[in-house]
Amino acid sequence: MGANTPIAAMQAALAAEHAAVYGYGVTGAMLTGSGKSRAYADWRAHEIARDTLAAMIVKLGATPVAASAAYTLPFTVTGASSARRLAVVLEEGVTRAYLGLVAVNDSTLRTFAARAMQAPATRATAWRGSTVAFPGMPNPSE
Amino acid sequence: MLAASPTTLSLFLALSACKGPAVLSGPPPVTDQTTMLLHAVTTEQNLIWIYNKAAVTYSGLAPVLDPLLAEHRAHLAQLRGRVIEPPGRRVPGAVTARPAIGATKAAALAQLRTAEQAAIATLMSRLDGASPSLAQLYASIAASESTHVTALTSEIGS
Repeated sequence: MGANTPIAAMQAALAAEHAAVYGYGVTGAMLTGSGKSRAYADWRAHEIARDTLAAMIVKLGATPVAASAAYTLPFTVTGASSARRLAVVLEEGVTRAYLGLVAVNDSTLRTFAARAMQAPATRATAWRGSTVAFPGMPNPSE
Repeated sequence: MLAASPTTLSLFLALSACKGPAVLSGPPPVTDQTTMLLHAVTTEQNLIWIYNKAAVTYSGLAPVLDPLLAEHRAHLAQLRGRVIEPPGRRVPGAVTARPAIGATKAAALAQLRTAEQAAIATLMSRLDGASPSLAQLYASIAASESTHVTALTSEIGS
């Protein structure tokens, strides 16, 4: 599970952060009140994480992947309920990408990724309203 | 008696130079990774014990604690499933810590939160040296436990 090389795994995590930054624009637009505030806070968290990852990739001598001009959403977002579901999908995607980075053999990167995946796992829980046993893992027996 | 011909003598000397068969030596040493995994199993068992104790002591907390407890049982099952039982050593089945439960609901919740935080720190410290798939399992469980910390904190504040 996960990309093979540290750079590839970091680029995958960065791509997931780009997608989350885009997706929260959609989510935030459909929410009001505390939901909108939370979406804004989470959007900012992903911007910061994105910049952190991009800087790490540059430091390793690679060029960070750019954000796509547009993304295909997994479903049509028509209101608050689907906006919250999209937030869950975004956070789960980021969590999964960081878990891929945990598989690299670089100790520093592994620890970084394991810490980094805790925040999106927690945000996904907040949007979902319930916890899951194995964040980032589609099937832990795999 | 067998006369010691040059052929049998050389065979005897050659066999004498060999090390004894494996069945006569002790069990191979348990690897660091297996030791860490066995510790993770024990940690998870201790967490389950304290959750059970808190749920029995404060039945009103069941709606909060039961889902988290179910996830810890799932963690334990996965961890135990990764253990290839080392020769001469059983997968631990016993709880090693049975602390008294907090005197109030809030104290019990805070105690569970502290236990979760300690478990996260332990798992994070085991990442280095673990195989990639085992490191991912540790990281995923640590992330799950971090969501438990948030859930317990929210309950304490409510």
